[in-house]
Amino acid sequence: MTREEVFEKMNEVFRDVFEDDDITVTDETTADDIDDWDSLEHINLINAMETEFGVKFSMGEIVSLKNVGEMADLIISKL
Amino acid sequence: MNEYRFEDIVSKEESKDNYTKAEFSSTVTADKMEKFYEICGDNNPLHMDSSFAKAEGFNDRVVYGMLTASFYSTLAGVYLPGKYCILNSVESSFRSPVYIGDTLVVSGFVKVKHEATKTIEISAQIVNQDGKKVGKAKILAGFLE
Repeated sequence: MTREEVFEKMNEVFRDVFEDDDITVTDETTADDIDDWDSLEHINLINAMETEFGVKFSMGEIVSLKNVGEMADLIISKL
Repeated sequence: MNEYRFEDIVSKEESKDNYTKAEFSSTVTADKMEKFYEICGDNNPLHMDSSFAKAEGFNDRVVYGMLTASFYSTLAGVYLPGKYCILNSVESSFRSPVYIGDTLVVSGFVKVKHEATKTIEISAQIVNQDGKKVGKAKILAGFLE
């Protein structure tokens, strides 16, 4: 799966979790850029990414993520 | 009351034979209907008026779907995981009407365990005394320290 394809699927997950079809994330997107991205939605987002990509994260891996680009890299490293 | 910690939980994804599950039963009474009305004020005639409900094709007045769904709170908070539960979300759907006097079996199992977020996804269902599934839900629960 290419990085572009990963982002395409990640966008679908973001749109589904935040119920907003207008969301398009980039490498630099952070929680500050999406209004409803609070701690509960973060849990939903991480869980949904695990399900969508069929991967498992550790707590250590997700607390150090700084932006969506790093999330994409983490996912790619597990595919 | 069960006292499962996150570490104690086994998901069906991890073990198809030995996953964590729970079940209890409860009978819906007219008193419970009255109390639910007192709490939320839903006086829709489908729940309050037997003749109205019968005229609409139901056997009798219909138990509030949200009263039935309230058993998911018990499932998570008392049984699975129990004492250390923090309920994140419940996605509930109603399949068939529930009537006063029905005895409901509420059950759930851990479908997925998310290590990174320390949450569990519980697949739950409610079945009446005739074995008919009246509702199902996807529950997301976290854990208190």
